[in-house]
Amino acid sequence: MVARPRKLATIISWPVRRAALAILVLLVAAAGCGPAAPPPEKAQRIVSLVPAVTEMLFAIGAGPQVVGVSSYDHFPPEVEVLPKVGALLDPDTERILSLRPNLVVVYGSQTEIEARFKKAGIRTFNYRHGAEGAILATLDTITALGAVTGHDAQAREVVTRMTSGLEAVRARVSRLDRPRTLLVMGRQPGTLQGIYAAGGAGFLHEMLAVAGGDNVFKDIKRESVQPSSETLLARAPDVLLELRARAPAGDYPAADLAAWDTLASVPAVRNRRVYSVVGDFVVVAGPRLVEGAEAMARVLHPEAFK
Amino acid sequence: MIEGSSHAAVHDAVAAARPIRARLALTVSGFGLLTVMTCALAPLVGSTPIDLGRALDPSLPFASNVDAQILFIARLPRVLAGALVGAALASSGVVFQALLRNPLATPFTLGVSAGASLGAMLVIILGGTIAVGPWSPVPLASLAGATVAAAIVYGLANGPRRAMSTTVLLLAGVTLNSFFSALILFVQYLADFAEVYRATRWLMGDLDVGGFGPIAGSLPLILASGAIFAVLPSSLNLLGVDADSASARGVDVAATQRWAFVSASMATSAAVALAGPIGFVGIVVPHLVRLLVGVDHRIVLPASALFGASFLVACDLVARTLLAPVEMPVGVVTAIIGGPFFLWLLVREN
Amino acid sequence: MAPNPSTYLVAHEVSYAYSRRGRTAAVNALSGVSLAIPKGSFTGLLGPNGCGKTTLLKLMAGVLRADAGTITLEGRVLADLPRRVAARHVAVVPQDTHPAFDYTALEIVLMGRHPHLRTMQLEGPGDLAIAHESLEATGTLHLAPRLFTSLSGGERQRVVIASALAQRPDVLLLDEPTASLDLGYQFEVASLLRRLSREHDVTMVMATHDLNLAASICDTLALIRDGRLLGHGPTAEVLTAAMVRQLYDVEADVRLHEGAGHLTVTPVRRVG
Repeated sequence: MVARPRKLATIISWPVRRAALAILVLLVAAAGCGPAAPPPEKAQRIVSLVPAVTEMLFAIGAGPQVVGVSSYDHFPPEVEVLPKVGALLDPDTERILSLRPNLVVVYGSQTEIEARFKKAGIRTFNYRHGAEGAILATLDTITALGAVTGHDAQAREVVTRMTSGLEAVRARVSRLDRPRTLLVMGRQPGTLQGIYAAGGAGFLHEMLAVAGGDNVFKDIKRESVQPSSETLLARAPDVLLELRARAPAGDYPAADLAAWDTLASVPAVRNRRVYSVVGDFVVVAGPRLVEGAEAMARVLHPEAFK
Repeated sequence: MIEGSSHAAVHDAVAAARPIRARLALTVSGFGLLTVMTCALAPLVGSTPIDLGRALDPSLPFASNVDAQILFIARLPRVLAGALVGAALASSGVVFQALLRNPLATPFTLGVSAGASLGAMLVIILGGTIAVGPWSPVPLASLAGATVAAAIVYGLANGPRRAMSTTVLLLAGVTLNSFFSALILFVQYLADFAEVYRATRWLMGDLDVGGFGPIAGSLPLILASGAIFAVLPSSLNLLGVDADSASARGVDVAATQRWAFVSASMATSAAVALAGPIGFVGIVVPHLVRLLVGVDHRIVLPASALFGASFLVACDLVARTLLAPVEMPVGVVTAIIGGPFFLWLLVREN
Repeated sequence: MAPNPSTYLVAHEVSYAYSRRGRTAAVNALSGVSLAIPKGSFTGLLGPNGCGKTTLLKLMAGVLRADAGTITLEGRVLADLPRRVAARHVAVVPQDTHPAFDYTALEIVLMGRHPHLRTMQLEGPGDLAIAHESLEATGTLHLAPRLFTSLSGGERQRVVIASALAQRPDVLLLDEPTASLDLGYQFEVASLLRRLSREHDVTMVMATHDLNLAASICDTLALIRDGRLLGHGPTAEVLTAAMVRQLYDVEADVRLHEGAGHLTVTPVRRVG
């Protein structure tokens, strides 16, 4: 064994040896930058499991970078042709991986698949639904997405636009009386069973505040409340706002608002101030928050929009 | 003919035994009083304190009298629904137990509740707008589902001339329960958040039915079942001893079984369609009543109906006041009472 | 058989077949059986298991309807009477009773009054008295308030007999009344039945495969095999070794037991 090295040393000259050493050093350095430290590059292939984030991505101009969306994504129309990969309860990991993403937007609670993607070397963006300061959280998320996708300027623009839009709505209704409002997020159709309403926290509550309404449940610091008939009678809202993501089939809204007649003594019902607001923006805390707030404001204070 | 042999001994025994007429009158008035008191007291108590004087003051306009509104619009229908559902579930529990010759049977053993739940799930999740009179979409679908389930079990267990086989009844019911429960899970899996939430909420049971309208829907069915219940008990007694002996004594066994099945299924379906599946009432109440008054169905059936009403109204009272302003589902309260009760029964047996 | 002025419960050319699902051929339980039971007698229906004696009893009880032939009581066709009315004349004591609920002995006996009550009518003091008398007649009055399920086998059968007696029947049908009892209780119930037959005006028909039991308490025997009547008449005449061989394919020793006071049958060997 002693003979070999000496034989090698005589064959390889010193300059060659120095070059080989340099290459060796470079290789080691490169190997050190493995999956443990992902390169800070722009996310070019994004899969989003969160509809709100999908909307934000498209709003800041990162739409072309989106290669897969959740099963519940409907806006903007471009997402209809994109592959659907499941959602909160049933994310299709295989499908997501087959799209070769380098960024996957997941819910904060989806820790399992987040870990899986990390192991596969895929970057994840963690979306947490904000309860306290929900609107601010949404704006922050847009900014963060701008950084991750390389659309910082556009993100800033969207945030500015949204902030001024919300301010505009607030200004229009600032001097007007704030009616006590019940924001109904859902109930059993045709009856008053299973009502759940917006509590004193969350983006709907904040949108209502912007729109010039006074949430009857603002003292209950939860996103949703399940009031009984008794509670509704006791709280006596002046305005009833029913929120729906999609318009139900047929003449349903008109027919179904009649279900409130059993609580005829509630001021909102008595004075016929029962309205329905329909649109995706009531379930998605995204860029269309402003439209949602404005829709609510138009219903609460029609005189401010003449 | 038998000659009266030892007159004295017989005479003493007759004097000692309380005849059934007296026992029935005593039991019905006792439980009846309890029910009346519970139903009179319950609307006065709730998560929002109300002033009874103000509520009953006719001089105050109703539109601005919140106390009166709460009493008459929120609480009264709720107490009435509780009494109706409690009576229906408890009495159909007694009848199903007699039909299946097993005191551990419940109104939900034969799959009626699973069918009702599946019907409700389908409308909640797939969306449905069909309403008929006082029946809104979900209760209507729930009733339809319950009827389908009952029809399947009835068809499987019924023969042309012969009596129903309790084994077939039980197997059909248990199978249907499993199958429908699996379907319910599947349908829930297809749903989105809001729908799953509404579905789960319905499955917990809810006596806040939203007015007298929904009650008007279920009331005729429950009353009709009650009318049939009135004539079943003596036949159920004889059936509870021996089917052939009952037949030899003039009981039409097959007809009694069919009427028992139909009436108990109808009462259960109407109750579940109104307030969702509320468990334990159909088994705790009959057991408690039997502990107090014996097993004669002629006494147990009316007593269970009355006690079931007051029991459920009382449980709902606890559900809506214990953690005020948050309301517990009433099914949780009945389960918290029912579970330990049965453990105690088991321990007592041993 | 020539018409007999003391005939009372008469089965005339009675046939019955149990239809079985899935089988093409029905099983003939009884084929053209004619039997006349004298009033006040204690008749034993004897035969091996499956011979049709239980079927005949059920036909007499009205639990089954005959495919052919009639069963009459004092000339009236039983099948034409409403079951409830027939039950005022004919009562059944089954082999064993397993109630699904915890009825008291008194409640069980009171159920015997059901045929005499209208729909939804409750028992009155008269019914209660009859129930207590029935319990007294079977020596179980002291058991009235006890739970039926807490009684011994013999006590239970006696209560069930009391329940049948409460119907105030003219005819008492018993299906293997001692089959599920051990020897002591068998003797107890057999003695009771013999006493009831002698002291009260009830015609008794008992289906049994126990030859010695039949010999001890029945004054008349009807021998049935494969759905057909082999013989019928007073016990002493009918219970012979030849008949036993025909009935059970068993060589037996039939003799009068002085101590017991009745015939006894002792099997010796199997034949045929």
